[in-house]
Amino acid sequence: MAYRHFEFIEKHAAVLGILIAIMVSLGGLAELLPTFVEARGVKATAGVKPYDPLRLAGRDVYVREGCYLCHSQMIRTLRFETQRYGAFSTAEESVYDRPFQWGSKRTGPDLARVGGKYSDDWQRLHLVDPRAVVPESNMPAYPWLATARIDGADLTARMRVLRRLGDPYDDADIAGAAAAVDGKTELDALVAYLQGLGIANVPQATAVSMSGDTQ
Amino acid sequence: MSSGWSWWVIGLIVFNLGVTFLLFLWAPHAKVPVLPDGTTGHVWAHGVLREGMHRLPGWWIVASAAMYLFAFGYLVLYPGFGKHEGMLEWTSGKALASATAANAGKLEPVMKRLAAMSVEAVAADAQAQRLGERLFVDNCAACHGRDGRGNPLLGIPDLTDGDWLYGDTGENITASIRDGRMGMMPPWNALGEEVVKNLTQYVLGLSGQPHDATAAAAGKTAFESTCGACHGLEGKGNSQLGAPNLSDDVWLYGGTPAAIETSIRDGRQGHMPAWTPRLSDDDIHVLAGYVLHLSTRGHVATR
Repeated sequence: MAYRHFEFIEKHAAVLGILIAIMVSLGGLAELLPTFVEARGVKATAGVKPYDPLRLAGRDVYVREGCYLCHSQMIRTLRFETQRYGAFSTAEESVYDRPFQWGSKRTGPDLARVGGKYSDDWQRLHLVDPRAVVPESNMPAYPWLATARIDGADLTARMRVLRRLGDPYDDADIAGAAAAVDGKTELDALVAYLQGLGIANVPQATAVSMSGDTQ
Repeated sequence: MSSGWSWWVIGLIVFNLGVTFLLFLWAPHAKVPVLPDGTTGHVWAHGVLREGMHRLPGWWIVASAAMYLFAFGYLVLYPGFGKHEGMLEWTSGKALASATAANAGKLEPVMKRLAAMSVEAVAADAQAQRLGERLFVDNCAACHGRDGRGNPLLGIPDLTDGDWLYGDTGENITASIRDGRMGMMPPWNALGEEVVKNLTQYVLGLSGQPHDATAAAAGKTAFESTCGACHGLEGKGNSQLGAPNLSDDVWLYGGTPAAIETSIRDGRQGHMPAWTPRLSDDDIHVLAGYVLHLSTRGHVATR
């Protein structure tokens, strides 16, 4: 290496750009790429099941309305989080979330284990008119969910796609999807989804399992 | 992490630190051609701007060296160098466990002291009230409100009024929090619209509110044969069932004639979720004390 090599790099913008891109991408190649590739190997644990049709429809409403912009679904490995929200989240819990709803913004509370925390009626009223139950809330109201119906044919198609992607739905699940959401509103679906979050999939002995593969 | 990915990460770290470290070693001694006027000869704006030539400042060299030392030290102590776990054997799970244990240790003397006390005594304890308030705001306030005054839209009871659906003892309150409650008033629309209207007037009369005496008298028999089973013949309620006292002018769903009529015609379902296992028994004990405290100190201003 001599000064003339550096002069060459400095005077050729394309070369400079390529070399900068290589150095900048090293961090991502080391930290992100292995996790991306190994994510295929993450398997659902016993309590983690694919969404039933109504909850799946609710999840799509959740994504469509952008709930993730204010609510995370990832409890971090920090004492003040586990004390407030419950056991920390693991990758296995999100295998049927496409895309995952971990989020990185908490204007509202984390929802990873909100299922069962409040009653169904509370969830309904809170979605239609948040300030009727929590006067201090700054959450927007979603009154249209109460009247919009779930489209069974559309949901059936979505389930077929998920099966192609590897979710273990069988023919009976898909054939019964339209009937399962018949007459249900988007509010019914979203409440069912929320009330299922974190239910029955709290990881067992998480503190121990964390000492192994995951860093 | 498989050993393949471990080597991949190690390779990237070695490459990254190696390239930059070699540059670091070389840069201070690099031979840069300098013109007699002390510039590099790089000019801009037709020579108005020229690039001067100075040695790297000492602070820059020292700061860079410190960063390398930090990077090597970090990779030795903490996980990061492929599969190497680091000499401290740090993991986020262990860090969480020790933080949780430290916090529990801090709370232990308080919790031990409170656990030995009755809910009634906990209610009067200033330290328990502070703990209880945090738990209440975090878990209960969404339904019962920060001030504990409930919400008639959902039939969520006011906890500050000294009126109890399921009894006023510490054990009753603890059970409500621990196991939850399912309030169920069946719909009575099958009795016919006229009977529903008469019953409404009768119920208004029970708590001494203005009502239509004729209609109320007509509703008396229906009340005693239908409603009395849960609410009692005199409408004083039944805390075993959580059937509200109708004679005290405290209303879960509002006390207007219209609200009462709706309650009778369509029925009501009130659902308090169970807080086990979301909250520990110790937490529930403290909360029960706080709820009892709310009812004895009366209404509080919302913060």
